[in-house]
Amino acid sequence: MIKKIFKKTAIFLLMILSGTSCITEDTFNDSPDGNFEALWKIIDEHYCFLEYKNQEYGLDWNKIHSDYKKRLTSGMSNEQLFDVLSEMLNELRDGHVNLVSKDRTSQYREWYDNYPRNFDDSIQSRYLGKDYNTASGLKYQILEDNIAYVYCGSFQSGIGSGNLDQILSKLAICNGLILDVRNNGGGNLTTAEKLAERFTNEKKLIGYMSYKTGPGHNEFSTPEAVYLEPPMDRVRWQKHTVVLTNRRSYSATNDFVNRMKQLDRVTVIGDKTGGGSGLPFSSELPNGWSVRFSASPMYDPDMKHLEFGIEPDKKVDITSEDYNKGIDTIIEAAREYLHNHKQ
Amino acid sequence: MKKIFLLLLLLPFVLGGKAQEDSLQTNRYVMRATLYGAGYTNILDTYLSPMEYTGPEIRILRESMRMTKLLNGNVSAQSLFQINLSLTDNKAETGSELAGLINWNYAWHYQFRLAENLKILAGPMIDLNGGFVYNTRNSNNPAQAKAYVNIAGSGMVIYRFRIGNYPLIARYQANLPLMGVMFSPEYGQSYYEIFSLKHGGKNILFTSLHNQPALRQLLTLDFPVGNMNVRAGYICDIQQAKVNHLKSHTWSHVFMLGFVKNFYLIKNKKKVGMSPKVSPY
Repeated sequence: MIKKIFKKTAIFLLMILSGTSCITEDTFNDSPDGNFEALWKIIDEHYCFLEYKNQEYGLDWNKIHSDYKKRLTSGMSNEQLFDVLSEMLNELRDGHVNLVSKDRTSQYREWYDNYPRNFDDSIQSRYLGKDYNTASGLKYQILEDNIAYVYCGSFQSGIGSGNLDQILSKLAICNGLILDVRNNGGGNLTTAEKLAERFTNEKKLIGYMSYKTGPGHNEFSTPEAVYLEPPMDRVRWQKHTVVLTNRRSYSATNDFVNRMKQLDRVTVIGDKTGGGSGLPFSSELPNGWSVRFSASPMYDPDMKHLEFGIEPDKKVDITSEDYNKGIDTIIEAAREYLHNHKQ
Repeated sequence: MKKIFLLLLLLPFVLGGKAQEDSLQTNRYVMRATLYGAGYTNILDTYLSPMEYTGPEIRILRESMRMTKLLNGNVSAQSLFQINLSLTDNKAETGSELAGLINWNYAWHYQFRLAENLKILAGPMIDLNGGFVYNTRNSNNPAQAKAYVNIAGSGMVIYRFRIGNYPLIARYQANLPLMGVMFSPEYGQSYYEIFSLKHGGKNILFTSLHNQPALRQLLTLDFPVGNMNVRAGYICDIQQAKVNHLKSHTWSHVFMLGFVKNFYLIKNKKKVGMSPKVSPY
């Protein structure tokens, strides 16, 4: 404590002597109350959907402050504090919001827990067979009816341009392509873009993006257009494509589906995506817990928020009858669609 | 290093006498020093975290100084080149930040010779800075780029004194940025938007004392050890800014140690051979 006071005093004196003022951030104590206030303030000043969610379901961040502050006690344990703060964050209904302590990570899961799963990897393996190929994280197979099936389970790792050239060239003999992004929880936006750009021959407006310019709930930059541009020197898919989605198609995958949905000869079949259209940033509390939150909102070409998901062109769930037979209703719907849309 | 520099510190003595020393041009004497240091730093960058990070810093400083012909030969030019690197932790020791900065200053000082052993120097300075702060656990705001240029005011006091017969030179220098331009993302703008999507914003900002109160202070003491000139120093480097609602500071306190070398520059050294009297060959 003495060391800290000495350090602060020394810095202060040096600044005074030089006529220079200190730039510091207001901080809170490492106490249940201090950590609560710090977390509430981070979300209040940086979270990008407070106004939108107020309009959508009546989220009132000031009321949440008073409601949850009542639950704090000075002697509460870290576990109890974590529970209160997690519940407070879950009021945001955002899968991109997490509180991370040394031994726990909070997650809002209702965006997929309350919906049909619509994906089963043991059923998927019947379609992939034993001789499927894998390259750059993509699993692919040519189905019996000469339809290409590609499964992309993550955008966390990059996809090689050369790999995509090879895969698409190899599948060029097929009558259509199923691109399955079910249970793909996202990853890098640049990876999602790299895959999507192979399905267009022209520059397409795919939406808008803005960011916060200040701590106020409505302080945003003017949304700027986001385009998808075809890589003219690379192999691009020229036939019909069906993108398969479920509620666990989230974050960068939500962005990928939005990109694909704006393209010609692309149809989205399955369930509504999980959403997650806020680019997440990180911050932290005085006790060292990390918090992740949505910072920059993305919109579709009509300036509609994508935070709560994207509706498919054709809504299909896996039926329990098909499930029991080991049939993926969504893949079958895609095959039927592609057979009816051969070029 | 096949430039025009050549070590000739002893040339006046070798050539014999003070009369010859006077014939040498004062603007060709160069003082050059290289110092290595370690210390402590305190980093805040609210783009990355509202919390301060503290930890050790290492630094290299390379300085050169020579007289010019400006204003009747009363102006000296100084080049200060610094590189620093720090590894810091938050108070709870759950997160780390790696930070680095390259800084180059070039100043022109008018020399006021108040006494034979006391000089005050003052003048303008160009201040160029480029660096980064990297937070090891953040998501889409993992790092902050540092890039800023300033016109600064620089002042220096040089005092020569003796303790017994032991000669010492003390120097205090302060460099205060007055105005400049700085790169900064906007409050919640990601580098993905700036560089991948190439979306604009207020990313190049005018800075002055009101939003960039910064100060670099340098205190050094030169003393001979054997046939070497040793320089020990302390740097108090206060870099701060408040732009786009983002606050940042780096408060560094670094102790430095190194050597001073004095040179005399020879013009057209490729054409003029060295005098046989001083040549080792």
